[in-house]
Amino acid sequence: MNIFGDLLSSMIVFAVPLILVALGAMFSERSGTINIALEGIMIIGGLVASLIFKFLTVQSGPLMGTPIWGLPSQLCVLIGIIGAAIAGGIYSFFLAFASIRLKADQTIGGTALNIMAPALAIVITWAIQGQGQTAIYTPSWVPLATAPMDANFFERVFLKSSYLTTPICVLVIVASWVIIYKTKFGLRLRSCGENPAAADSVGINVYKMRYTGVMISGALAGIGGIAFTLAAGSGFASTVAGYGFLALAVMIFGNWQPLKIVLAALLFAFFKSLSGMASSIPFLPSFEGVKESLYIYLMIPYIVTMIILALTSKKSRAPKAEGIPYDKSSR
Amino acid sequence: MPDYVIEMLNITKEFPGVIANDDITLKLKKNEIHALLGENGAGKSTLMSVLFGLYQPEKGTIKKNGEIVHIKNPNDANALGIGMVHQHFMLVDVFTVLENIILGVEPNKLGFLKKNEAREKVVALSKKYGLMVDPDAYVKDITVGMQQRVEILKMLYRENEILIFDEPTAVLTPQEIDELMNIMRNLAKEGKSILFITHKLNEIMAVADRVTVLRKGKYVATINVKDATKEKLSKMMVGRSVNFNIEKEPSNPKEVVLEARNLVIKSATSHKMAVNNVSFDVHRGEIVCIAGIDGNGQTELVYGVTGLEDIHSGSLILDGHDITHCTIRDRSKLGMSHIAEDRHKHGLILDYSLEENLVLQRYWQPEFQKNGFIKKGAVRAYAERLIKKFDIRSGQGSIAAVRSMSGGNQQKAIVAREIDKKHELLVAVQPTRGLDIGAIEYIHKQLIIERDKGYGVLLISLELDEVMDLPDRILVIYEGKIVGELDPKKTTFQELGLYMSGAKRDPKYDVQFTEGGAK
Amino acid sequence: MKIKAFFATCHATIKKFFVNLWPNIKNLKTKRGFNSILASLFSIIIGILVGLILMLIIKPKDAFYGLSMMMSGGLSSVSNIFQVLYTTAPLMMTGLAVGFAFKTGLFNIGAAGQYTVGAFCAIFGAIILKMPWYVDILLAALGGAVWGAIPGIFKALRNVNEVITSIMFNWIGLFLVDLIIANTPKMLSTFYGGADQSRTVDPVAVNLSSKLPSLGMERLSPYMNVGIFIAIFLAIVMYIVLSKTTFGYELKACGYNKESSKYAGINAKRNIILSMSISGALAGIGGALTYLAGTSTMQVTKSISPIGFNGIPVALLGTSNPIGIIFSALFIAYIQIGGNAMQPEFATEVIDIVISVIIYLSAFSLVFKQLIDRYLLDRKHKKDARDLLNGPTANGTPPEPVEAEIVKEGAPK
Repeated sequence: MNIFGDLLSSMIVFAVPLILVALGAMFSERSGTINIALEGIMIIGGLVASLIFKFLTVQSGPLMGTPIWGLPSQLCVLIGIIGAAIAGGIYSFFLAFASIRLKADQTIGGTALNIMAPALAIVITWAIQGQGQTAIYTPSWVPLATAPMDANFFERVFLKSSYLTTPICVLVIVASWVIIYKTKFGLRLRSCGENPAAADSVGINVYKMRYTGVMISGALAGIGGIAFTLAAGSGFASTVAGYGFLALAVMIFGNWQPLKIVLAALLFAFFKSLSGMASSIPFLPSFEGVKESLYIYLMIPYIVTMIILALTSKKSRAPKAEGIPYDKSSR
Repeated sequence: MPDYVIEMLNITKEFPGVIANDDITLKLKKNEIHALLGENGAGKSTLMSVLFGLYQPEKGTIKKNGEIVHIKNPNDANALGIGMVHQHFMLVDVFTVLENIILGVEPNKLGFLKKNEAREKVVALSKKYGLMVDPDAYVKDITVGMQQRVEILKMLYRENEILIFDEPTAVLTPQEIDELMNIMRNLAKEGKSILFITHKLNEIMAVADRVTVLRKGKYVATINVKDATKEKLSKMMVGRSVNFNIEKEPSNPKEVVLEARNLVIKSATSHKMAVNNVSFDVHRGEIVCIAGIDGNGQTELVYGVTGLEDIHSGSLILDGHDITHCTIRDRSKLGMSHIAEDRHKHGLILDYSLEENLVLQRYWQPEFQKNGFIKKGAVRAYAERLIKKFDIRSGQGSIAAVRSMSGGNQQKAIVAREIDKKHELLVAVQPTRGLDIGAIEYIHKQLIIERDKGYGVLLISLELDEVMDLPDRILVIYEGKIVGELDPKKTTFQELGLYMSGAKRDPKYDVQFTEGGAK
Repeated sequence: MKIKAFFATCHATIKKFFVNLWPNIKNLKTKRGFNSILASLFSIIIGILVGLILMLIIKPKDAFYGLSMMMSGGLSSVSNIFQVLYTTAPLMMTGLAVGFAFKTGLFNIGAAGQYTVGAFCAIFGAIILKMPWYVDILLAALGGAVWGAIPGIFKALRNVNEVITSIMFNWIGLFLVDLIIANTPKMLSTFYGGADQSRTVDPVAVNLSSKLPSLGMERLSPYMNVGIFIAIFLAIVMYIVLSKTTFGYELKACGYNKESSKYAGINAKRNIILSMSISGALAGIGGALTYLAGTSTMQVTKSISPIGFNGIPVALLGTSNPIGIIFSALFIAYIQIGGNAMQPEFATEVIDIVISVIIYLSAFSLVFKQLIDRYLLDRKHKKDARDLLNGPTANGTPPEPVEAEIVKEGAPK
């Protein structure tokens, strides 16, 4: 039962970054731009937030390890998260510029940003922390709460590995649904992704809408990046292990709809948590005699993703104009 | 001084390499229906796009009610009361009718949509002008006629006074065209001023008050319709007398070259069968045309005949060979040539050169390759021969990138390739779409030459003039079934329209060819 | 018989290439490829500038040292020069892999996974099957081909985007290979007395026949072997296949327009799978070239080797043209060796930043190329129009206006 609690808490913590990034991707794609750079944006978000956490921590002396100026710890976490969102938004601007303004192949611009982000992270971390020190550790004041060693089921689910990013994620889910379906902005955004010529003909600025879509996805991916770092547990290590692309798969599997995306994300997070806890769960095969069986479990989320994509891709209904740059003059 | 609600004075609009509008002046009176006539490429759409704010002119001014205005985008146009129904509808398939109408002018409170007041307004407008629509239907599920009414309602919702229609009848049956003409007369009576772009002389004669003619970007004349004749108008439109009837010998059909029996083909978008038990023959030496409103199965029928889609059941025999399940390559080898409907989607590879496209159907033949290596010399020679024979014009001859060629020459290249290739049956789908009169005449001539050489020609066309002039037999398709066979020399546009819209059907077609068949 | 003809044609083509070289260079300015080369050079210059600016921000006093290392490190010693050549070979292969896929309309971001799987197959063949080097290379090609076929199959049959499939399989491939190596003790260095449990043994040490022959060049450097020549040879073969064969014609047609190629009777699904397989095979061979040189051992790790991903900038810089890729691979390898020399003042990742800027700019370069094309074409048109207006006519009437032959973006139909 306790193990089940651990599993559930781990599942939520891994689902949060997936949900955030996948919802962001949905905004971008619904407006007509494929955001392949999510992986890189997540890294930038994680980097900026981790650096903010580091700077907000007293480095030496009797108060070492606590937030500076006696600020409440969750306020500092919020500052870090906002920083991640802003950084993500700015970084995604480069993708937006290349894809929308210059109408370049959207995968090229995105790939460039994906390669640059970890490199930039390492170079900056190296410069700040010194040669070879490429990981930024998360300070201990960041989690919302901690669970005692002998915690019961509920304590495990709600207290263990709980971070501010989780309630923020819930807010984002609700906000996304409302914005996409119930607001003027959402209607216009969707029209740009389905038939940009139609949107243009009623006076909607397609370029502005698409920029907004991409930058929203950037901000959410930035938050997703720090959420991933927190989920991973040991600090920022200039990688998000393919989560940026997993989020795209989740978005496709969720048919570009917020609620389905949440369900899809929970499914994947389930498998990922399973891989981390395989040895402790009695009824799962532990592959006797197989060395390093953790690799089997590491593969599972990706294999499951592929199976599901194979089954659902034929029926999926992507926004009609996604990936096609909008050229005002091609009427 | 007559009351002009809109004046476009000395408008010049240029694009890289072409002057689309060259010093054109157009004046629209209040409450009139004013037609804008010209061939493809004459500049009509461009001029209207300038009026609607989609393009900015290099020179010239626009006045509304005598005052100079600047229209920089559709919002400005809207603010001035100008609205436009485009040739290709600007609708979002997955939105409802209501959502499409309010897009861009959504009633809202703090950003949250308030659809109810919009719905009331739409229903009221719909009743006032006789434009029946279902506000909550998804656009992808409604008919083309209703889609057009949605476009009109978009303009009325925004209280536009000046309404521009761009080739509105291209997708309508003769009956729907009559309805639209009525709607336009009503709108004019209710105080709207209408500009409509067309290249169809009948419609101008039927509904317009005055007509302005453009040719190759330049202004030709503006005359009252009551003083005009079709001959006068067409001469102004093309600059020379036009022969309305295609010259051809009567056909002399021989044995059957294509035999289609009980074809059933699935639809890509719905559960219905797009082609539902269709049977017909094409003989050598005749041109058979399958006519119908776009969306009644002719596209899928052609895909099935040529191999782009699978035939669900039924049989297809070409020159004695059963090709029901043959690959496209095999059908080509057995004697099928296909002038495709969409020259950019199917007919050509835009990024390839002209010569590479001209061998698209033959590159694998021994004439053009050896051991897998392309014989560039042979390809070049062949291309030059076709260019000369069919007068295909391009910037740099056979190495020109096809993307840079004009639509007419691209089509000529496709026609050249398919005709020159050895064939027994030529399938021509919309072969003259988007072309000017000269090119149309040329291609019609080529098709008749093929017919007279003893090959079979299967023509699919949406152009009613072409359907009545070119083929020897017309088969009308409606909702996936053949509903009638007409003799173009004996039938009328009205009768054709009745069959096309399903109002009339020949009972013998339900009985013939259905060996144990499904209905 | 066909193979003989193939080699005969190769020989003829190479001969024709050199015979036409000078006239081609003279015509360079008017050829469309020239603009692409200009654009690539432009991307490179800006990329390096960005790297310099970054170094200036981090450690201003060492910045110019860093720049000089990046630009000249590759040539700073004879051993460095050979190391450049050694690094170029696998990079050229992954570049060819990505470039070949690009030419056929597919984005093979899975070159990294195919490289890993191919490398594994080569090492497995060397250590466990005790095969000589040429068999190991074939095994690597086979492994890479299978791994490349997978995204191709998903795309052709289930319409799953090849980018996502490839990335998933990059990870699946990595973990699978890790799993197998960890469970095959004979492959690990510890079996042979080494201390590092997470590395394989050097395959060459175990099986001398698996070492890539060095044709006497080992006197120049331990890094020098036939690998670079294999890579260049394969680049030329790919060039011939793409531009001179019907197979290449079909593949490119599918890449440019899937619907039209279907209309032409080409089997698009089969070609997608074939394309990805060939691409994967090329990347796999890259893996073999790295690990059969006697200089590297494979690591059991959770992070994907960057060589596969660096194939992307190589392909983009070389405009997906196999001959161009030869040069762009050399360039990227060159600055990477320079980057190593930059340590410890700067992280070698500065080079990755330079490379990613170059990629980003190459996205612009397509646009610059279009702008240049349009500008030149416009000038030609104005010239033609002027000629027409000024040309003499028999009876003094102005000539008929010319039908607009070039329809550009923005001109109405």
